[in-house]
Amino acid sequence: MLTVLITGLATGAIYAATALAYNVMFSTSKVLSVTTGHLSMLGGVFGSFFISVLKLPIPVGLAGATMVGIAAGLVTELVAVRRVLSRSDEHLWLLSTLALATMIQQAVGLWWGTEPKPFPRLIPQDFSAGLLDQKYWLPVAVVALIAVGLELLYRFTMFGKIFIAVSEDAFAARARGIATERVRALSYALAGVIGALAGFAAGQLTFAFFALGLTLTLNGFIALAFGGLGSNAGALVGGAALGLLSAIATYFFGGEYQNTIAVGLLMIVLLVKPEGLFGKKTVRAV
Amino acid sequence: MTDSRFRVAAIAVAAAAAIALPFFVADQYQLHLATLIATYWILVAGLNVVVGFSGQLSIGHVGLLAIGSYAFTILAGQHGVDPFIATMAAGAIGATCGFLLGLPSLRLPGFYFAMATLAFALIVGELSLAEQDLTGGGAGLAVPGFPAPFDTPGGFYWLVLAMAALVTWVTANIARLMWGRALVAIRDSEVAARANGVPVFRMKLLVFTFSGFTAGVSGALFASLQTYVTPETFTFELGLFFFIAIVVGGRGGILGPFLGLVLLTLLPEVVAPLARVGNFFYGALLLVVVLAVPEGIGHLVSTLRERFRPIKVEKQPVSPDLTRLATAIHAGKRG
Repeated sequence: MLTVLITGLATGAIYAATALAYNVMFSTSKVLSVTTGHLSMLGGVFGSFFISVLKLPIPVGLAGATMVGIAAGLVTELVAVRRVLSRSDEHLWLLSTLALATMIQQAVGLWWGTEPKPFPRLIPQDFSAGLLDQKYWLPVAVVALIAVGLELLYRFTMFGKIFIAVSEDAFAARARGIATERVRALSYALAGVIGALAGFAAGQLTFAFFALGLTLTLNGFIALAFGGLGSNAGALVGGAALGLLSAIATYFFGGEYQNTIAVGLLMIVLLVKPEGLFGKKTVRAV
Repeated sequence: MTDSRFRVAAIAVAAAAAIALPFFVADQYQLHLATLIATYWILVAGLNVVVGFSGQLSIGHVGLLAIGSYAFTILAGQHGVDPFIATMAAGAIGATCGFLLGLPSLRLPGFYFAMATLAFALIVGELSLAEQDLTGGGAGLAVPGFPAPFDTPGGFYWLVLAMAALVTWVTANIARLMWGRALVAIRDSEVAARANGVPVFRMKLLVFTFSGFTAGVSGALFASLQTYVTPETFTFELGLFFFIAIVVGGRGGILGPFLGLVLLTLLPEVVAPLARVGNFFYGALLLVVVLAVPEGIGHLVSTLRERFRPIKVEKQPVSPDLTRLATAIHAGKRG
């Protein structure tokens, strides 16, 4: 049973990281990007590519994977979001990010192969460590670091304050002389960092697998909707809850029903408390 | 020639060409492709009402297709039900599942709804693998064909064509009449539609259930065409393919999505390198269309038609009654 809980927490950590990346992008652009999960997938695949295939040292591999994540985030902003936001059609960003996500996933599938490939060990450790194995605690630790880092960034840096200003009211921020477009692009780069770091840290658990992106996009979104859109604490709680629930459900019913149960959770939360656990109720001025 | 007569003539020519197609094809594979397009079209025509007219972005219709396929296979193959009744039953089951899926998910805003349908497609895939007693699991099931005269490739093509024509006619009527106006109103502004007395949720649920029916029927024919179904047939990418066909073709029309579907099916067949990168190409095409012509390529056709239409200049000669005008002015001056 302890195994179940620890596996659940570790998977939940990746969901939480995806939910955090969603939040970072959503707060500046009000866009929920389908590519969010693919950022983590790229972190895992390129981490494995740099370290296992190119035989680079681990820190270089980490830096490389992060750079790829940043590039993917910026490309999302540049190609799929910037042009589309200037149009009035409200669903267009869903189509453009979906198109980009499909392209990323298929390109990686063609180049990397459609089979999951192993991810290298990051810290020298015996395989007999059992539940204390790095593949379980590493994602949790990294996601906790990311969450703390985000909080520090928001509270104590100028960029964080600008970021919050843009997310509260982009129009007012613009009137105050903030280059909102640049802040938006930077927020997508930041989401790329978060996604790539989480994907890199969780690589040993998820393997370097091209189709991981879509699963994470869905499950990260469920975690986000559960915790409340826009709330980082909600993202963490939602991710942990979803991971634990999936693991327990797998334990009792078998792995075939994982998606069914996750979506069941989403539906119940949305019907009972549509804004999520920690979300703000949106009040529309009439 | 007036516009409506031109339209009737065009439809007649297209119908004649479609009916005569089995006599012109070079090999069986081309006929198979034509049948496949017609089968897909039954689903896409129904989905088009949901995506193109009411603006609900469902990317998971492949789940309903799978349900229709398995319903047909199990009913006709294992319980010996007449294939035509089984097809209708597959449609009814598809409609029921569409209704049940739409009941919670159609209340959600755009991205949430898309994610719900994505999840639905994944769930159906998961369950079709898990429920081995029902679906045969990963090994799959053999699908029975239709009885004579529909057991030949040509006969089956005509059967599918007839059903596709029927579905097209129904969707054209939906689009043309009050329904279509109400749906477009929902797509363009839900608040305005509601203010004008459109029962928004009921309309959405109705068309989604209808699209479930067409998806079920399409699934039955698709299974019969493929002669064998496994869970791997119904990948999420197939659902994305239907969706992309509609968006690429153009939302808010019927000809556009049809062109999109034909284009997406035939391009990888004609241009061999595209087949290898199949889904990447679909994604790229979607991105290009969304960024360059968000109205879809069907829109280009109507724009070109407007461009080359003979311009009818309406003359409205003005011949003022000068004497009356003069008296009126004089009367004004005096008064």
